[in-house]
Amino acid sequence: MATLVNPADINPRQVANKSDKKALLDAIRMTLAVQSPAVRRNTQTFNRNRYAATALLPDYNELKDRARQIKESAIANLPELLRQLEASVRANGGHFYLATTAADANQYICDVLLRHEAKLVVKGKSITSEETKLNHALEAAGITVAETDLAEFILQVADEQPSHIIAPALHYSRERITALFKRKFTTDLPLDTGEELTKFAREKLREQFIAADAGISGANLIAADSGSLMLVESEGNIRMTTTLPPLHIAIAGIEKVVPSRTDFGTFIELLPRSGTGQPLTSYVSILHPPLKAPSFAAPGKTAKPREFHMVLIDNGRGRMREDPVLHEALYCIRCSACLNSCANFETVGGHAFGGETYSGGIGGSWEAGTGKLLNARFSELCTGCSRCVPQCPVRIDIPWLNENLRQRMNLEQPASAAKSAFGAMTGSAPEDRVAPLQKQFFANYHVLAKAATRFSPLANAATRLPFARSLMENVVGLDRRRKLPPFPRKTWQQLHRDQQHGDRARMAKSGLPEVLMLADVFTNYGSPERGMAAMRVLREVGLKVELSPSLPDGRAALSQGMIATARQQAHALADMLLPYLQKGAIMCVLEPSVLAMFRSDYEHLLDDPATAERFAHGEFLDPLQVVWSIRKELADGQRSDLAQVFPASRSPHGTRVFYHSHCQQRTCNAAWQTIEILRFCGFDVVTSSVECCGMAGSFGYKREYYELSMAVGEDLFAQVRAAEQEGGPRTLVASGTSCHEQLWAGMGREVLHPVELLVSTLG
Amino acid sequence: MGWPSEEHFSDTTKNSVLLRHLRCKLSFSMQQAVAQSSLLADFTTAAIQAVATVQVVDRSPTALRDAILQAVGDASRILYAPPHELPASLFSDFATDPRVVANATPDEMVNTAAGVTEAFAAVASTGSVCIDVSFECTGIVSLMAPLQVAVVAAECIVPQPRDLFRADVLDGRGLKRDFVFVTGPSATADMGPLVRGVHGPHKLHIIVLR
Repeated sequence: MATLVNPADINPRQVANKSDKKALLDAIRMTLAVQSPAVRRNTQTFNRNRYAATALLPDYNELKDRARQIKESAIANLPELLRQLEASVRANGGHFYLATTAADANQYICDVLLRHEAKLVVKGKSITSEETKLNHALEAAGITVAETDLAEFILQVADEQPSHIIAPALHYSRERITALFKRKFTTDLPLDTGEELTKFAREKLREQFIAADAGISGANLIAADSGSLMLVESEGNIRMTTTLPPLHIAIAGIEKVVPSRTDFGTFIELLPRSGTGQPLTSYVSILHPPLKAPSFAAPGKTAKPREFHMVLIDNGRGRMREDPVLHEALYCIRCSACLNSCANFETVGGHAFGGETYSGGIGGSWEAGTGKLLNARFSELCTGCSRCVPQCPVRIDIPWLNENLRQRMNLEQPASAAKSAFGAMTGSAPEDRVAPLQKQFFANYHVLAKAATRFSPLANAATRLPFARSLMENVVGLDRRRKLPPFPRKTWQQLHRDQQHGDRARMAKSGLPEVLMLADVFTNYGSPERGMAAMRVLREVGLKVELSPSLPDGRAALSQGMIATARQQAHALADMLLPYLQKGAIMCVLEPSVLAMFRSDYEHLLDDPATAERFAHGEFLDPLQVVWSIRKELADGQRSDLAQVFPASRSPHGTRVFYHSHCQQRTCNAAWQTIEILRFCGFDVVTSSVECCGMAGSFGYKREYYELSMAVGEDLFAQVRAAEQEGGPRTLVASGTSCHEQLWAGMGREVLHPVELLVSTLG
Repeated sequence: MGWPSEEHFSDTTKNSVLLRHLRCKLSFSMQQAVAQSSLLADFTTAAIQAVATVQVVDRSPTALRDAILQAVGDASRILYAPPHELPASLFSDFATDPRVVANATPDEMVNTAAGVTEAFAAVASTGSVCIDVSFECTGIVSLMAPLQVAVVAAECIVPQPRDLFRADVLDGRGLKRDFVFVTGPSATADMGPLVRGVHGPHKLHIIVLR
């Protein structure tokens, strides 16, 4: 067996390109061992601050709509805008260059600098220049480059790629920076506080600013009508870069162009709040260079006239623009909200969940778009939890982009007889049968679960056999450390039929619509009692409830990038549900990942937009949303309110609970009703504040991601422990199947669904 | 702890936010005095949150001189970029102080404790001041010294950053100029903890003229 390298010895640069899966796995080990605490602290701070800052924008949603419209029309009209921009820049007295490739852009910039005999260049933060590897090109031409953003300065000293789009060195703790500087610089200073480190870097860089021959900046936005740049920063280095030297070069991707300076008004409200969570960063410069004010001449030198070059790069963006899916990534304004709201990113950062330049949920599309598809392999770390979606200021459906990347990577796989036969047997769509066995296994888990439920004693005995687990680990990569929940003896549907034959439910109230409960495959074959509890809760409040047939919804297939299979399943399920929808029944979905499927994914999967619309817009509800929506009707019945129907005081589980809502449930805005109801019934509820439990369907079961999944879960487990420090244990309550499994694994005790907790009060 | 469920999150905060927003909106149409005092109050709160200091003074050369000199303390030299919006006469008392340098040498520009400029606008919701950097050395004076002093007229406070990109606000000046929204002193969290005072000023003092 090959000996594993000590994760601390893995250099981030060595594992930046993740086209080889080993690089991805090494990068996960390295970041978990070295970077995770700093990444967690910094991203979670950004995340909290963003929630607070955007809540203060009274028209946050309207601004997001507006931003989306501006970007959509800008990308649609890009060729025209680029022509207009070129004219504006030239009219201002600047130079304009449109580079096709990274090498092309670097060559142009080198030529300009050499023409000016520039020896020293100061640079503001520009991730686009990381993409083009500009520094290497300049250094090869004998030009000294001083990165002046302190994070970029750290990366230049350490020779590492960025780990985050707005805070590129956020994986460094203060202690590690001290160690790095002590290693790389000769100094007697202690450098053991943030202030000292900052002062040390400032003094070094101040000399460079004064002596610099040229400044290179990026641009957050560019206005075609006036050639204006918007530059967002907090340190003052971009102001110095653009103000002091006579020669200013701005490098940016063509997607940064918007029609007009008036459009900046929308983005200036959204960008800083979505990024660091500040109302504004310290400095937002609005410039249409060359500046009219004279440049700075170092003491003893004479001031030179100003010169400005705008260098825009295509480098794959034109191709992205033509791509039916990836063009959406061009709307990205690089605020980092999707990184900071991602539980996996918060745990490992961009050196694992990222490539050579771009990282996080949106990063896969960028690495694939500006490089090779397989460079996007790290996008496997997107679990589709969807927490980034409501945070994105331009409303990019990031999970959908990643599911498509996964599909394309599946299609690059060689076909094999085994995969093909397995796919045919389990129901993969023909085009998805090239996908790896592991993916087909998880995508069609319902088929296996169905068989296993039929022979459950046998299946449960078998899955406990060590060789069976080792076989499953070797063949489909199911980690043997994960306890498998036992298969039930009877499915939800069987239990439901049995009950119909036995004692009848309470009489339904007249006037209330009928409820159709979807027998989702996760509950039907995994936790039928939970399904029965949900139906009982609905009946207790006077609703007539029916159970649908059990069909897969496509979630499992979609998460594996098997989009064709997901499409097939979505169509079959939609056909089955449509008659109920047309009857006006309340459609109830117990499993949040299925609810989210209807709300946000069916628009991509169903052919008929009108049907997709019905699935997207609120006709499907979580059971506690149903209860919440009819609580008023309840008040005029013989029992006056929920608290009397489900009194917490009668629960054998006690009144103290810890509730973790499901990631996708929160995105669907279907979580707070549960908390309200539990509190209303008299439960003392403490809630988690993590974005996702880390299990995310099949993700936490996969051998290669087990450690990461548990590391993500640790935040949740720590919150449970903290909540139990005062007053003792709390009953664990969660709404998602995955969350149950994760909490069960982490806390080693029973986890209830809110409906089970409510049923427990009925005696 | 406690997850701010999205709808609730906005429900609980919405009322106060809406009220504030409404006040901002109304201020455009209401009597100048009421509107401005409300914007000024919001501006002051936000600027202090952004770790700037704010002082409101009478619009007279003496009052302005006293305010600036008090802010710069015992600085041995003060960089000064003369105004283009406010009348230069307002700065006349200050400009005669022997420590004031209006045409600084490069050496003075990088080795002076304080820099004084006007701001042509300020933003109530964020506590920002907007410095026009197209004139002479305004950009450098407002950037290189550890203490930045910005002087703004109370009637130039607008409700939100987006207002600078409207043709009907402040004569559309924000659409034409090269300028910088300055919100508090320069800052970084790149070295671990939050540090104020990086490449740009370590302190920002804002003087609002009544």
